[in-house]
Amino acid sequence: MTGKPPAEMAFEEAMAALEAVVSQLERGEVKLEESIALYERGAALKARCEVLLADAHEKVEKIRLAEGRVAGTEPVSGL
Amino acid sequence: MIVFSHADSAGHVTPQGHPERVARLQAVEAGLTGLAVERRDCPIGLREDVLRCHPAGYHDQVLAAVPTEGWVQLDGDTFLAPGSYRAAMRAVGGIGAAVDAVVADGGAAFVAGRPPGHHAETARPMGFCLFGTVAIGAKRALDLHGLGRVAVVDFDVHHGNGTQDLLWDEARCLFASSQQMPLFPGSGRPEEKGAHGQVLNVPLRSDTDGAAMRAAYERLILPAVADWKPDLLLVSAGFDAHRADPLAGLEWEAEDYRWLAARLWEVSGGRVVSSLEGGYDLAALTESVRAYVEEMARLSA
Repeated sequence: MTGKPPAEMAFEEAMAALEAVVSQLERGEVKLEESIALYERGAALKARCEVLLADAHEKVEKIRLAEGRVAGTEPVSGL
Repeated sequence: MIVFSHADSAGHVTPQGHPERVARLQAVEAGLTGLAVERRDCPIGLREDVLRCHPAGYHDQVLAAVPTEGWVQLDGDTFLAPGSYRAAMRAVGGIGAAVDAVVADGGAAFVAGRPPGHHAETARPMGFCLFGTVAIGAKRALDLHGLGRVAVVDFDVHHGNGTQDLLWDEARCLFASSQQMPLFPGSGRPEEKGAHGQVLNVPLRSDTDGAAMRAAYERLILPAVADWKPDLLLVSAGFDAHRADPLAGLEWEAEDYRWLAARLWEVSGGRVVSSLEGGYDLAALTESVRAYVEEMARLSA
């Protein structure tokens, strides 16, 4: 249940780990004593997925806004 | 208000570092200090009491598994020590005596026993629990006293999967439970409604605070209990939704348990038996039990 820190995970990896955690919690196979730690792990994985999704979203926006120019060269912030 | 307890409850010794530990009883006692309640000893429960909910084979298996020294581990969380069976049977006896007293005279009672009971399923020990204490109390009220309508409210932070399992087919008993979700044991979704639609599950998200809890109780659980018009209300009183509890992630405070005591008393019809379930931060357990019992005692006096 320890494993790699979510901050070091790619999206697919974090998503797969999150699905595994949710499945474990839903099947009720987790010890009462460990359940909260597993939930917290799930929350950290969810947060990591959200950060990566937000990053990807920002990149897509940047490309869209930069249409007609060379994409990916301008920061989105301040637009 | 009568508080039932017994020294045998301390005989359920769990391994070093286990959260469901003997010291919880001292924390409960500290919370009860100075309150205007009548104290009584839990009588020893009988095999036939357990058999109101569990098969004889299951009871006998648990009894036979009790070690003469050290521990026997029944699942990842649940241990038997030499004194565990006797402790569990004091909790069973305590709920029986509390039900008898409250059915006869009205008012409120609190059973300060352990191990807890609400995770124990029909033939499966689970999550620190051996026998379904509160469900056994409900069956006693229905079958021995002939009450027509009983309600059980479970505000422990974990779902009362055992109570739900034991009362799934019991049309005469409402079971209403709030729980953090997702969390152990994984059950307790709103779709789980009982064989007769008499089960009400109210999952709460992590970080749910007292205000959100009160809103959920006002909207769902309290009206359901009031509409049920119970002859007796049993409460699985776990105090592990407190913000300090190490095993869960809700944000209730001791005063929220005072509020629960008041509102549950108001919808009960004047007969309430509460039984200790979880609560693993000792200081939070002390102040939460105190708030809950003090308020229930004041209103039921």
